[in-house]
Amino acid sequence: MSDGAHYRFPPSEAYRVNRCLYALKSDRAFAERFLADARAATDSMGLTDGERADLLHLDRDALVARGAHPYLVFMAGLRLKMLREPSRMEYF
Amino acid sequence: MLVGAFAVAHTPQLLIRPETEDRDLVLRVHAAMQRVKARLQAMRPDAIAIVAGDHVEAFFLDGVPALAVYVGRECTGSFGPYRYRLDIHEPLARAVVEQGIERGFDLLYTQDASLDYAFYVPLHFVMPEPAVPIVPLHVNVYLPPQPTPARCHAWGVTLGEILRARPERIALIASGGMSHFPGTDRYSSPEFDYDRGLLDTLRAGRGREMARLTGEELDKRGNIELRTWITLLGAVGDARADVYCYEPSWHHGNAVVEWPMSGG
Repeated sequence: MSDGAHYRFPPSEAYRVNRCLYALKSDRAFAERFLADARAATDSMGLTDGERADLLHLDRDALVARGAHPYLVFMAGLRLKMLREPSRMEYF
Repeated sequence: MLVGAFAVAHTPQLLIRPETEDRDLVLRVHAAMQRVKARLQAMRPDAIAIVAGDHVEAFFLDGVPALAVYVGRECTGSFGPYRYRLDIHEPLARAVVEQGIERGFDLLYTQDASLDYAFYVPLHFVMPEPAVPIVPLHVNVYLPPQPTPARCHAWGVTLGEILRARPERIALIASGGMSHFPGTDRYSSPEFDYDRGLLDTLRAGRGREMARLTGEELDKRGNIELRTWITLLGAVGDARADVYCYEPSWHHGNAVVEWPMSGG
């Protein structure tokens, strides 16, 4: 797959960022801790200051530029939105 | 025996609709999925084999299988307030993994992986009543390098042979598609015309042509998830597709399709 692909091989230097996005997406307890105190929740994730700042803002472009998987950024954001605004969703 | 074959969209906004999504469009997709459910009721399957691409849920970067089979007794998953616990047809799942490996496909199997919404969103809407056990079949679509379309098709051919030789009545579902680019700057500009061209190809019974697509092409067209469809196409051969719906939203080409099988 070329470097111009929408979904690229996840670089190992982005592993911790992707691990944190994965936790936001798939670990509800972690996502709730993140919403309560994002800085405290990410303390144990081993992120650099820059990575953490991008993560706290869920800055897609910056995170993807760091090697974050675009889908993980997207779904972490949607899961947080579902937790923040459950009454604004319609459930089938 | 293979009694039915379907492709069903699985975008989670069909299950939990944010205000960004057109409600009427969502309901039209639901109506198409209700047709699938009615067809499955009539087919009386003993099991549903469902091919889906895990969205980095069961398989994170600590282990990325190209192809996998869930072989435990049951599998669970959750999304928002929804909790799913689905029985696995264990004899069939074991047959798929054992015979698949015997025939040259190095499948990962799991007895404990959590289920991704790519599996349970379609099943939420199409599972017949009473529910039947499933065989979840994972194809890696989101973590490069993914299996090639040719490899997916070849696996589908073998999968179809395995399923047809079984005594159970089996329905096969491919989950996902069509064009969408979640998390990228193309999110609001899927390739709907490309999707419509593919659907014409499938209506004509020329699904095997999709085995010649490249991974680059699928990525470029927002169709990386079509690997699940291409797997199914290997199993259904030259059957002509009956397109129940194609509903393009502002970010996603939602399709529901049946390939009628002679046993169904």
